[in-house]
Amino acid sequence: MNILIIILFLVFAVFILVAAIMTVTVKNIVHAALWLISSFFGVGALYLLMEAEFLGVAQVLIYVGAVSILILFAIMLTRDLEGSQNRQLTPRWWIALIVPAALFGVLIVPTVMTHAWQLPPPPPAGQPPTISGAQQIGTAFMREYLLPFEVAAILLLVAMIGAIVVAFEEREQRRRVLTLAEQVRLRRQRQQQVATLPEPAVSAVQPSEATGGET
Amino acid sequence: MTDILRSWIGSALPDWLIVLIAYLIVTTIVLFYAVGNFILMVWAERRVVARMQDRLGPNRVGPAGLLQPIADAVKMFTKEDIVPRNADRWVHLLAPVVSLAPVAMMLAVIPWGRGWEPIDLNVALLYIVAVSAVSGVGLMMAGWGSNNKFALLGAMRAVAQLVSYEIPAVTALLTVVVLAGGMSLLNLPHLQAGVPIMGATILCNDPAGCSPLLYTTITSFPGSPNEPVQALDLGLGWWVFTPVGLLGFVVFFIAALAEGERTPFDIPEADSEIVAGYMTEYSGMKFATFYIAQYILNFALAALAATAFLGGWQGPGVAALANMGGPWVHAAAALSAFYLLAKIWILFFVMIWLRGAFPRLRVDQLMDFAWKLLLPLALVNIVSASLMVSITQWTGAQWSGLVNLDGFASWQRQLIAVIVTAIINIAATYWILSINQRPAEQEWDEELVVAP
Repeated sequence: MNILIIILFLVFAVFILVAAIMTVTVKNIVHAALWLISSFFGVGALYLLMEAEFLGVAQVLIYVGAVSILILFAIMLTRDLEGSQNRQLTPRWWIALIVPAALFGVLIVPTVMTHAWQLPPPPPAGQPPTISGAQQIGTAFMREYLLPFEVAAILLLVAMIGAIVVAFEEREQRRRVLTLAEQVRLRRQRQQQVATLPEPAVSAVQPSEATGGET
Repeated sequence: MTDILRSWIGSALPDWLIVLIAYLIVTTIVLFYAVGNFILMVWAERRVVARMQDRLGPNRVGPAGLLQPIADAVKMFTKEDIVPRNADRWVHLLAPVVSLAPVAMMLAVIPWGRGWEPIDLNVALLYIVAVSAVSGVGLMMAGWGSNNKFALLGAMRAVAQLVSYEIPAVTALLTVVVLAGGMSLLNLPHLQAGVPIMGATILCNDPAGCSPLLYTTITSFPGSPNEPVQALDLGLGWWVFTPVGLLGFVVFFIAALAEGERTPFDIPEADSEIVAGYMTEYSGMKFATFYIAQYILNFALAALAATAFLGGWQGPGVAALANMGGPWVHAAAALSAFYLLAKIWILFFVMIWLRGAFPRLRVDQLMDFAWKLLLPLALVNIVSASLMVSITQWTGAQWSGLVNLDGFASWQRQLIAVIVTAIINIAATYWILSINQRPAEQEWDEELVVAP
């Protein structure tokens, strides 16, 4: 293998590992998300190094472009998460360390012991051996992996419908977005109600007249 | 470029170094090209908008104010670089870089002229979409790192807009993928040779009698079994002249306006509401970096729209010059680069024009527009594009005996495809527009019924 490729691989690998470690150790949660994004980026670069252009680009598109932005949105819409005084370790952190380490060991030890660490022989010329190009991936999805593909599609559809159900508002309950003038008037009206009498002052004035005043 | 360097330097340097130097030179050229256009675009935008608003615009520095951008650049360089005390320093510093870098990366795959493409990536269209999505992270970093509520609001708006308008943009680009049978941008201008509407389907029947000035050898759609043919080529077979391409172009261009944050989609930096959005806390060169990123993004999106739908560098005379051989090939390349640049500038002029003509949309209008109008249109267009490809290219066996079009000449098949897709697209556009124009029921808040 080319020495240049090995050097590049090592650089990317170190970068990914450092970014991943920073993700779980940094106290500021937005910084953690940003380190996670750079780790995703490094994985995309590894795919490119393997000449799997489609996978590399898809990695950037899906993880950097979509997933991480959703993570950032979720963080910013959640309150009181950015404090640097948040504790990172629970009192029973050593249990949490041992269990994943044991699980990882169960997976990695047999792999290391039994796997034949020989690089596969180069494929015969003129025959695409691996699934890396867009066309091969498309064909594979439509032939060998049709069932997993369909299951994933149904899963995504269910998630989409679920999101719509969660966010759905009944038409009767839906509120019009108020203008600033209307909000001010509404607040003033509520203050008056509290100050004077508990009876709500509902009258049959047309809303268009109500909005027409002070703008 | 690699080959030229190899012939100059020969074996004095290792091969990887030559490749590296060659790509460094190419990158420098492309970046200078983009930044030069950026400077002219800033000037043109200010002058043209001023003209539309019955003002003069910058006219003091240099002839017709042409040197105004340089004066602006000097001002930007010498301005104090202010970082808010409670800002997240590193995030604040890195945000302009993260938003400029992906935009610059977009320039790498666009064929700037005949044979002038920096790199040939076979997933170029997907690459552009992926890379432009990264700039959302930069905007988010700017908004969060500034520790300013206007900046955060602006970043939220920008990213929400970017994410939702990516969907119609990608769906419109899928039309191109279906038509071209691949995601490479390099092929697109070659596929758009020929004459308007008919494309490269008017074939030469008598090889001896066809002038090489009018007819060129066209290797039609990649992946189809068709032989290379001699076809009438005026360099005008742009996809925008077919119903599929026209609808795709309109949808993509509107979505590109939203991605580039141009009016009427400049909600993220609505200066009357949230100061300057995510750029509020930036000054000096950092602000200028955002500014450059925005204009180069518009430049790259216009180049992409031109390449995907308006024929790219394709134009009258390019093929004829290239056919003459010898030094004329370089003339053909220069002419083609000029055509692409002209198309980019026409699209940019339309962007300025829209800015002069339309008010800003509201956020709910923005979302309705993307989801209820653009996305259905783009989806219908994919169906039309598939029909177009199947009618023009499929053999009887591929249709599995359903329809047999083998007996028709290629121009007849193209005509059938154009008529069928035109009917589908016009009907669908009319239907979707009429659904959207139905007035919504008035919804009033019950609480808001009080006399002023």
